[in-house]
Amino acid sequence: MPRYVIERTFPNGLEIPMDAKGAQGTLKVVGRNAEQGVTWVHSYVTQDKKKTFCVYDGPTPEAIRKVAELNGLPVDRITEVRVLDPYFYL
Amino acid sequence: MLLLERDHDLHLLTAALDEAAAGMGRIALISGEAGIGKTSLIGHFIAQNGKSARLLAGYCDSLFTPTPLVPLHDIARSLGGRLLAQLESDAPRAQLFATMLDLLRDPARPTLLVIEDIHWADEATLDLLKYLGRRFAQTRALLILSYRQDEVGARHPLRLLLGDLASSHATLRLTLPRLTLAAVRNLIGERALDADALHRQTAGNPFFVTEILSSNGGGIPSSVNDSVQARLARLSPAVRNVLETAAIFGSRLRAAKLEAICGADAETIDNAMRAGILEMAGEEIIFRHELVRDAILATLPPGRFRDLSRRVLTAIRASGIERGDLAQLAHLAEGAGDTASVLDYGPAAAKAAASAGAHRAAATQYKRTLAFAGAQPAAERARLLDLYAEQCAIVDNLAEAIIARREAVALWHEAGSSLQEGAALSNLAWPLVRSGQNAAAEEASQRAIALLEALPPTRELAAACRMQAHLRMLDRDTAPAVHWGKRAIELATRFDDKTTLAAAELVVGAALLVSGDDKGLPHFNRCLDLARAGGMDDVVGLAFLNMGSSYGERYEFDKAEALLREGIAYAEDCDLDHSNNYMSAWLALILLYQGRWSDAGNHATAVVNCPNFSLVSQVMALVALGRLRARRGDPGAAVVLDEALDLARQTNTLQRLAPVHAARAEAAWFEGDKERVAAEATAAYEIAFNHRHPWHVGEFTFWRRRAGEDIRPPRWCAKPFALQIDGDWQGAAAAWRDLNCPYEEARALADGDTPAKLRALEIFDRLGAAPAAQMLRQRMRDQGTRRIPRGPRATTMRNPHGLTVREIAILDCLAGGLSNALIGTRLHISSKTVDHHVSSILAKLQVRSRAEAAAAALAQGLVIQNREMAAPK
Repeated sequence: MPRYVIERTFPNGLEIPMDAKGAQGTLKVVGRNAEQGVTWVHSYVTQDKKKTFCVYDGPTPEAIRKVAELNGLPVDRITEVRVLDPYFYL
Repeated sequence: MLLLERDHDLHLLTAALDEAAAGMGRIALISGEAGIGKTSLIGHFIAQNGKSARLLAGYCDSLFTPTPLVPLHDIARSLGGRLLAQLESDAPRAQLFATMLDLLRDPARPTLLVIEDIHWADEATLDLLKYLGRRFAQTRALLILSYRQDEVGARHPLRLLLGDLASSHATLRLTLPRLTLAAVRNLIGERALDADALHRQTAGNPFFVTEILSSNGGGIPSSVNDSVQARLARLSPAVRNVLETAAIFGSRLRAAKLEAICGADAETIDNAMRAGILEMAGEEIIFRHELVRDAILATLPPGRFRDLSRRVLTAIRASGIERGDLAQLAHLAEGAGDTASVLDYGPAAAKAAASAGAHRAAATQYKRTLAFAGAQPAAERARLLDLYAEQCAIVDNLAEAIIARREAVALWHEAGSSLQEGAALSNLAWPLVRSGQNAAAEEASQRAIALLEALPPTRELAAACRMQAHLRMLDRDTAPAVHWGKRAIELATRFDDKTTLAAAELVVGAALLVSGDDKGLPHFNRCLDLARAGGMDDVVGLAFLNMGSSYGERYEFDKAEALLREGIAYAEDCDLDHSNNYMSAWLALILLYQGRWSDAGNHATAVVNCPNFSLVSQVMALVALGRLRARRGDPGAAVVLDEALDLARQTNTLQRLAPVHAARAEAAWFEGDKERVAAEATAAYEIAFNHRHPWHVGEFTFWRRRAGEDIRPPRWCAKPFALQIDGDWQGAAAAWRDLNCPYEEARALADGDTPAKLRALEIFDRLGAAPAAQMLRQRMRDQGTRRIPRGPRATTMRNPHGLTVREIAILDCLAGGLSNALIGTRLHISSKTVDHHVSSILAKLQVRSRAEAAAAALAQGLVIQNREMAAPK
């Protein structure tokens, strides 16, 4: 399955509290993703929490956009990526 | 019999039956290798639960070429009533299927419908299951289907059905595993057998295990065959004769018939039962397992096989031929090497299969017959080849259809019948054009007309004119298409040939409409009337398909969308999958042009993911997907457009090449590769120009100019493109807006003054057209424009209710329980403005109060991206 990096902008910053409410929110996202065969691997968030780089596995860019829409998440850009492991060459 | 290690499966089936009884129909697919115990599991389940539901059972037989709809016949016989009456009166399939569905909806009693061994099912039965499967959720029935998964290869016709059923939530899949060592030990019990060795040798296959355990022989035979052979060797010749005859006859038979056919007495048959090889199932005698029957057949010497086949054939004939036996008779006649009987029963069985919709079975029957027809006169062989080719073309075996038609043409020529030679040539054109050999199709069609024109007018000539018209229409040669089509209409009317007439009206209608002439509409309507009155479902589907895509090609998207949606609904009702796919692909394109990108993506993806053989649907869906990805700046545009080009080149027609090259030109533009833009926009320019296609030529000219070429559009170029090429961005934008093409409108506005550019940006951002927006921003910066809006407010478009970023922020505060005044302070706006936003939120969420809005926001996860607003800092 292809892997994608999805760039998102949150003008007001993204904050997911480290409590039950936060867990519920992310689990909801994970559940909706699963219905479209999409997996949220993990995300990198900038210091100001206004931009995220999310690593996703999914069948197509359309599926990625669909779950973003269902989850109410913005999408700036989707890039298909592959892993480059520097230590592989050692 | 003991059933081991199947408790969980039984439990799942019971739960499914309970749900079915409550009005949520369920389907259970039970798969596993031969001998794994599918029938035993089903038998146990029926014994446990059979009383709580009405039991209906059908069986598929392992005859090489199955009798169509055998399971439905089984069910009808046990049920009697309306279904049986309809079957006996040769009611149309659609009626039979609907009656069956009605039975399963019976509010009085839930139904347990079991059809076993569907890997042997004919296509008419698979169609029935597809029809039922798609509508099963609304029944009060549990449908249990069993099959051997090792017999279902990638190209097995059952694959499509399984794919279809798997997508339904009503479907439960049970894959039966082999027995564990513990279970084998349990079965051995007190016997002096090595459990490890038995488990290893049988690989835990329950049938093999029990076969060895009940044969009480010494040692463990190496295969099921050996085990059955060992058992047979101990039986008397009279009993063996009964078993061998029964094996030739089939998997299920009545006792009286078996006695009559073997000339054996009841006692011998009883002995065969006592040996544990035959058993009673209701009123029929069956083999304990198909594997036993296979083992018996596998070891019959060829001479013996022929003799027995001949004897069984004679006996059946003497007892009178029953309905539905034709396929079996043809099978036996082949086994008996009885040429006259094969020539008799083969075509009759083929005809019966074709009329039930089992075209693959029909083709096989004709093929079998042809193998015995070598000594027949040329005309007779040609007739069979024509019939064979017709069935092959229906099941998309185009290569075989072409070979058979060519042979038929040669034989008709040899037989001196130019009428039939012409008809065969004209029919040859269809599989040729379907497989992308357009030039050869054209040649065949022209030769057909030349031959038939030399004779007095015939209905064959009508059909040949229709074929020629169709080829011209596909090539978008309007005038010749209309000329030949009208000729076909006139002749078909004279000979009262409704099928050709409906097809000819369709061709003329499509040819006119696609060239922008609304005089095509009455032709379409006449076609629809004829097709509906004559029960020609597929023609009705084709009419919608052609009308919808014709309007689509002319950028008349509102009309196109309405027709395609009506057509798709019709195709869904009648399970016309090919038409449905093609229309969905076109709908995806239309939605894309109309700026409904996310819907466009859904439709295109559904077509691309569909296991289907239709190249043309794939091309159109891939074009939609490629354009969508390119316009969004998503990855994967190049991949799908390369695939689309490969497929389009196979057809080598304007209809496929032009949309693919246009999409590729656009994609190259985003990559900044002007050379490739020019190359793509030139590749199909000439054929578009020769066909005077205003839209394709318009788009190609547009891209070639963008790539820096100095090329003028022709007078007949589509207006919005012509205006934009002329530099009239205002006129072009207005024209695109009239056509409801927001992206194209924005592209025209982007050529305008600063306010126009700002409007273009707004549209691009709203659509999510990141690359176009980015290019425009860059251009505006280069031109020194100040105050360029910063970027897409992505969240506006990305949440299901269309809330703006501001509204989401306020909703988040609402969810945190803040008052308007507090929200105003936090967001630095007046509380009056907050109030204004709140009413807008209530309207968008369709709720009445702030509390409901807050609840909806939390329940739907609308506010997660702004959690910090509500969380106390």
